[in-house]
Amino acid sequence: MNFFAQLKLAAVSLRYNKSRSFLTTLGIIIGVMTVIAILSLLEGLNRKIKTEFSMLGSQTIFIQKVEWMISTPGNRQQLDFEELRKRPNFSIKDAEALALLPTIEVAVPTIDKGVGNLKRLGNTAQNCRLKGTAEGGDLTSNWVVEEGRFISREDRLHRRMVCVLGAYVADNLFGAENPIDKTIDVENHRYTVIGVLEEKGTMFGNPQDNVVIIPVSTYLKYNRMPRGWRSIWGGLTIEALPKRGVPLEDAMGDVEELLRIRRGLRYDEDNDFGLNTQQMIMSALQGITSTLWIVMIGIAAISLIVGGIGIMNIMLVSVAERTREIGIRKAVGARDHDILLQFLLESVLLAMLGGLVGILIGLGIARLVSALVPFLDAASPWWTVVLGFGFSAAVGIFFGIYPAQKAAKLNPIQAIRYE
Amino acid sequence: MIRLEKVSKVYDSGHVVVEALTDIDLTVDEGEYVAIMGSSGSGKSTLMHILGCLDNPTSGSYVLAGYDVSAMEPDALAKVRCSSVGFVFQQFNLLPRLTAAQNVELPLLYSSRPASEREGVVEEMLSKVGLADRGHHRPNELSGGESQRVAIARALANDPAILLADEPTGNLDTTTEEEIMSILDELNSQGRTVIVVTHDETVARHAKRTVHLLDGRIV
Ligand SMILES: Nc1ncnc2c1ncn2[C@@H]1O[C@H](COP(=O)(O)OP(=O)(O)OP(=O)(O)O)[C@@H](O)[C@H]1O
Ligand SMILES: [Mg+2]
Repeated sequence: MNFFAQLKLAAVSLRYNKSRSFLTTLGIIIGVMTVIAILSLLEGLNRKIKTEFSMLGSQTIFIQKVEWMISTPGNRQQLDFEELRKRPNFSIKDAEALALLPTIEVAVPTIDKGVGNLKRLGNTAQNCRLKGTAEGGDLTSNWVVEEGRFISREDRLHRRMVCVLGAYVADNLFGAENPIDKTIDVENHRYTVIGVLEEKGTMFGNPQDNVVIIPVSTYLKYNRMPRGWRSIWGGLTIEALPKRGVPLEDAMGDVEELLRIRRGLRYDEDNDFGLNTQQMIMSALQGITSTLWIVMIGIAAISLIVGGIGIMNIMLVSVAERTREIGIRKAVGARDHDILLQFLLESVLLAMLGGLVGILIGLGIARLVSALVPFLDAASPWWTVVLGFGFSAAVGIFFGIYPAQKAAKLNPIQAIRYE
Repeated sequence: MIRLEKVSKVYDSGHVVVEALTDIDLTVDEGEYVAIMGSSGSGKSTLMHILGCLDNPTSGSYVLAGYDVSAMEPDALAKVRCSSVGFVFQQFNLLPRLTAAQNVELPLLYSSRPASEREGVVEEMLSKVGLADRGHHRPNELSGGESQRVAIARALANDPAILLADEPTGNLDTTTEEEIMSILDELNSQGRTVIVVTHDETVARHAKRTVHLLDGRIV
């Protein structure tokens, strides 16, 4: 008997027992639904994290007084603020020394602060930040210059009164006007616009395009380096980018060694600075998502096993009910494997129908959650659907093989006489 | 065509051992019309099952159309059943969920005949038994005689050389019995080997030779 005829046979037989078939597949439906929904949400979360952090520059080492920490339920470190306060500030000289490392492409000293609303000719840009940086700062912070140019070495050395505008600032202060060579006032100082940046969007809800970027030297001419508590997060940050092809870990090793030497730290003393990378946040978040993974795998495995046992049970009932049918089929020429295939296809089809319903409900749940939770966008790549079908087919085969074998091995005469 | 030598069948259910057939020697030539008679429990059905390759003999040899089928594997037996033997049961044994035409189609599916041929064969077989217009009916919409005719059409679907009928008229009244037997007569007259099991002398009279069984032996 050919495969297609067998498939039709299985489908007809399932349709004959519609409500029983549906109830049997509930376990599979729940299992596949869980997998699809959670996978879609995790994938959405992962993509979100990746795009958000790509703004930071994936290879950039952020050298600061403090190490970034992510508070997870299992990891609630206490910060020793007294110790942090006593840590030395970074200086421009540190950045210059780091830039000389053979593994480092650029090391850019940066510092920033909030400057509130900026005004120009009746236009307002709200809640802006002023950032001092140096040549190469566009590379370390993943800025793309849309028009004009970025801060140059000369701008820094001559403490020029020039600025590069974030897209939001440019749009709100200049509208349709071309800002290049025009001026804006920030904290009573007048800067000439030399460049405009491409839009970046938000990073975890924080706008990124509300910046005014000026040479770090100019920034420090008018602003004192923060001291005490405020220096912990408000001090100088050195953004260092490894040379092309240099592994991030190697570059970080070199940076750490140089900073320890410059600060005269003994071998048994801890670092009094933090080397931060996008990867650290990623791996911390990965820890959270891996917990979700385990929960998902647990729920899915249990419901798939329960579903599988349900299918096995119903198939055994079906084989018993249809013993006579099996006998007759064998009497007219069905081989053992024809019968095996008939019942196996029935259980696989049953499981895959459950899988299909589970996939649809799972995708629906993922959609619903992304509609309700603002920062979550579920993504359901094609492989989650394939996975859902694959799992349900596997359950159908695994739990269907025993009843099908039982059917195939029946003796035709005894089966025909079965009442 | 059929050649049984010293065929025995023993049912061993653990505590009871029943010797249903003992040392059966039987030869049936191509085109013969044989009736098997005997009292209830004499082993007629058991013999038919072995002839129809539904069961293996416990000992002895069975050569069918030149092939020794007594030691064949289940799948090989299934192939023989599919292509060389048609079996008609007392209880009709149609699949209740399928229509008459689908029942007739079954052996064609298992012999992997292409769909394009199947429809024509089914039609031909149903008209052979006079039910050309009842193909879409289900078994519960057919009378006993009609059901048995569908069963005969099904047995003939793969054009087997041998037709085996185990009390084909046992559940039918005398008029219907005549209908069924005239179909078997005609099939035999066309050259098909027909073996029919019966209690009934009038049925046995249709056959050209009668074999009597008593307690599992031919007498
Ligand atoms: N599966 C079986 N297990 C044990 N004994 C069996 C089995 N099938 C048949 N027998 C026994 O074998 C003997 C022959 O049975 P069989 O069915 O061949 O008789 P029969 O001649 O067809 O009788 P009837 O005319 O009533 O149909 C009987 O004694 C029966 O009890
Ligand atoms: Mg009998």
